[in-house]
Amino acid sequence: MSRLRPLLLILVLMAAWELAARSGLWSPLVLPSLERIGRELVLFLSRPEGWMQAWVSLYRAFGGFAAAALVGALLGMLMGRSALVGRMLDPLFSGTYAVPKLALFPVFIFIFGLGSLSKVALIFLECLYPMVIITSQGARAVDPVLIWSAQNMGASRAATLRRVLLPATMPYVFAALRVALPVALIVVIITEMISSVDGLGYVVIYSLASLRTDRMLAIVVVIAALGLALDRALVAARDRLVYWEKLDTYFA
Amino acid sequence: MRHAAAPAGLLVVLLVLWQIASLGGHPSYLLPPLEILRHFFAALGSSELYVHAAASLGRALPGFLIGSLMGVALGLAAGIARGLDEALSPLVFLTYPVPKIVMLPVFMLWFGIGDLSKVLIIALACFYPCFINAYYGARATPRILVWSARNMGAGDALIFRRVVLPAALPLIFAGLRVSLALSFIVMFAAEMINARSGLGHLIRESEMSLRFDLMYVSLLTIAVLGYAGDRLLRLARGRALRWQPS
Repeated sequence: MSRLRPLLLILVLMAAWELAARSGLWSPLVLPSLERIGRELVLFLSRPEGWMQAWVSLYRAFGGFAAAALVGALLGMLMGRSALVGRMLDPLFSGTYAVPKLALFPVFIFIFGLGSLSKVALIFLECLYPMVIITSQGARAVDPVLIWSAQNMGASRAATLRRVLLPATMPYVFAALRVALPVALIVVIITEMISSVDGLGYVVIYSLASLRTDRMLAIVVVIAALGLALDRALVAARDRLVYWEKLDTYFA
Repeated sequence: MRHAAAPAGLLVVLLVLWQIASLGGHPSYLLPPLEILRHFFAALGSSELYVHAAASLGRALPGFLIGSLMGVALGLAAGIARGLDEALSPLVFLTYPVPKIVMLPVFMLWFGIGDLSKVLIIALACFYPCFINAYYGARATPRILVWSARNMGAGDALIFRRVVLPAALPLIFAGLRVSLALSFIVMFAAEMINARSGLGHLIRESEMSLRFDLMYVSLLTIAVLGYAGDRLLRLARGRALRWQPS
């Protein structure tokens, strides 16, 4: 029952939408009925072009996200465990944290071209910040008693890293991944809306420009479902891989 | 002092390297730092930059205020009232990983292509981090403090104001900080997609007309504004949370 409760509010909202759409107060261009959105959704999912567009967006998002995850986790570990690297990079990241990296997109277009690369580069940059900041916090917060014990029992530096530091930092890495993944999705949609000839963001803007509101809303539904599904998948992976500690940081 | 000098040191080194690298000639779209700075100060003398910056702030700040106020208020309420929690939280947590920017075209359709749709999309984006942080902040109030206050005869309103709110404040500020950064991103995105004014529009227009000087000037302006906003917020945090180390 408690699992169904979130659905309840959504059902109420959907019913209200349908009622408003059928009341005739608004043009179907502004408020298409659920039936028409549903039909467009089925149409979108039943054609390979639709899947291609989704694949293009996912490909870009994953490219930037994966690179940022790797580089960010490594940099974060270094910053958290080495005072020198931390002192050098920490202020750089926290100082430029509030600067919207999106503003660099026009510059990236000139450097990396109009294609996927400029988008992937921007996704990488935006995802790097949460990865680095959260991972370095985690690496810094490792209980020193654990490290002392390991050293006391004769563990080498490599063994300490592999058996103590990595397991202790892993929950934070996953918390960072969970913040970075929606960011990757946001940035890919934004950049495709601004300048692209393919991808889901482009299809949304194109549908709006050709006044196919029902199609546009169907794709909004697809994007929302993608965001949800990816987050769920990440949580499932985290619960399998990092079973020793639960760090639920939906926030910050 | 050393702590403040170190970051500037690395940044200066990078900028000097960039400047030196561009001495031997540079592509027209990669201006050297000193050149950007020169254009920036030249632009400060004309009114164009101020007009666009004011238009941008006129969208980002109302959106941030509306979204974060609603987020903090509803998040705190859901954190202390079970009925509201059960009705609202599942929907918020369910839609949290959805990129809110996809609603921009929908909002443009409903509220027009003017400022209203942009302010609302910024408010929507700012709502989530504030709600979630305020929610967890209120829920993480140490139970024993609430009990002690009640034991000493404090009413619900007083407990909220003197116990729950201070306990939630650190997380609320964390949420505000994320929201402020988000408001700038969403404002910029909305202006790049569709606007007649604002820094996002300016950067897009200068990009298309190959006015690289103007492009970097708007980039620098948005960076300065974002940094200043974050600084102000951290200043406010330091004042409001004197009892807490940052």
